[in-house]
Amino acid sequence: MEKILLLWENSGLYNLTFPQFIMIAICLVLLYLAIAKKFEPLLLLPIGFAGVLANVPEAGLALSAMDQALYHFNPAVMQSLAGELGVSLTAATDAANKVIIKDALAAIDDPAVYARVQYLISMAGYTDGFLYVFYKVLVASGIAPLIIFLGVGAMTDFGPLLANPRTLFLGAAAQFGIFATVLGAVGLSALGVVDFSINQAAAIGIIGGADGPTAIYVSSVLAPELLGAIAVAAYAYMALVPIVQPPIMRALTTKAERAIVMTQLRPVSKREKIIFPLAVLGLVALFLPSAAPLLGMFCLGNLMRECGVVERLSDTAQNALINIVTIFLGLAVGSRLIAELFLTRETLGIMALGIVAFAIGTATGVLMAKLMNKVSKMPINPLIGSAGVSAVPMAARVSNKLGLEANPQNFLLMHAMGPNVAGVIGSAVAAGVMIMYLG
Amino acid sequence: MQDSELMMEGFNLMLLGMGFVFVFLTVLVIATTLMSKIILQFFKGEPTPASLPATARPGALPGGQSPDLIAAITAAIHLHRQNKQQKK
Repeated sequence: MEKILLLWENSGLYNLTFPQFIMIAICLVLLYLAIAKKFEPLLLLPIGFAGVLANVPEAGLALSAMDQALYHFNPAVMQSLAGELGVSLTAATDAANKVIIKDALAAIDDPAVYARVQYLISMAGYTDGFLYVFYKVLVASGIAPLIIFLGVGAMTDFGPLLANPRTLFLGAAAQFGIFATVLGAVGLSALGVVDFSINQAAAIGIIGGADGPTAIYVSSVLAPELLGAIAVAAYAYMALVPIVQPPIMRALTTKAERAIVMTQLRPVSKREKIIFPLAVLGLVALFLPSAAPLLGMFCLGNLMRECGVVERLSDTAQNALINIVTIFLGLAVGSRLIAELFLTRETLGIMALGIVAFAIGTATGVLMAKLMNKVSKMPINPLIGSAGVSAVPMAARVSNKLGLEANPQNFLLMHAMGPNVAGVIGSAVAAGVMIMYLG
Repeated sequence: MQDSELMMEGFNLMLLGMGFVFVFLTVLVIATTLMSKIILQFFKGEPTPASLPATARPGALPGGQSPDLIAAITAAIHLHRQNKQQKK
């Protein structure tokens, strides 16, 4: 009988807490969105699944060894830890004692003490959960988003951008959404609605860049505690581009403007395409070293694509490698969907601010395109401005679709690809500025 | 007090960030335009992928005959057969 009781007390059902239950339900919704609605399934599927795994009660797959020790709160282990840390567990309840230990652990400043604490914990048999290891190796180090960027670079054709370099301005204008959202986030915390630090505000703003890997990279540097919510918001809203953008684009343009036909793009020589990534790299090295990791990998991928002598590497970067890393990145991000990190008022704030960032970015892109159409001799259809919020190639397709609606002979796809890839560069530059300013 | 400081920080970040993004991309526009001009200047005769001479004339058949010739032969055969039928 006692054995049966023990089995029951170790079962998931017995230990399931209410927040964990809510998180598992949320992750199942993510899986539903990925499978039934095809919302960025490549990422939301592994993220959703890892989220469920991370919330399996007692398993602690997403916890570090230290967090696991705290979670289980074995009295003997805790007493020896308390001795090492120089605190005494005098509080009446376990919960209160846990807080004492937690604070003491957070306050360790002597590396020798830290090493001994680690040793004690591993001697007691606690190890890092496997999702936590994925997170530490791939995301906390910034490696996974960088490899994804390598693959994105290898998939990007800068032809339309090189044929009409002025579309880079559209990519710049659409980044206003990022910074307006930063202001919105600090505004919210000034009003006392939620409490964001400036670093957290910056990491939230980057959602407006509509670029998953950039958002993950920036939040892993500036606000790791918000990474789960930010990544989920970024990918969910990228999937919502075809729903969010059109009403804004229609509201800001007249039918005549949407029907503007743009002149055919000139053919771009191979030489220009090879030199362009090198030119970007040179400018990054000169002006913004903090964007060098992101743009450096991006340019490397693009050079591999365009130079034509490393077909095999380019092929691996845009297929096999990016697929492998996408799986691991999904698992690592999903491991951040633990109840205590995700079920907060901040998450709601992030979701709300993220969509605002998107909308503002779309609007400023369109407005910039209207302005450029006024001042330049060459006609520019304002619809391509909205493609300045990266989200390659979805945003460009949306521009094309609205163009065809206004004028069935108007194919904007290639013209919109210019601002679209400019948006990737723009959001990476914005990320670099934020990391330089706050990091 | 601390709130207004945070707001100021956010505002500064916005000005600096937007300014920098625009400056950087403007420099990139200039650099790209210059690069394209120089390359087009120096390698004028370079065939671009779009303007490569077509290896085969459109409409040419595998054997190398022109469609006009084929049409003429077909018409001649047709006429010849019709004449034969009339004679019978």
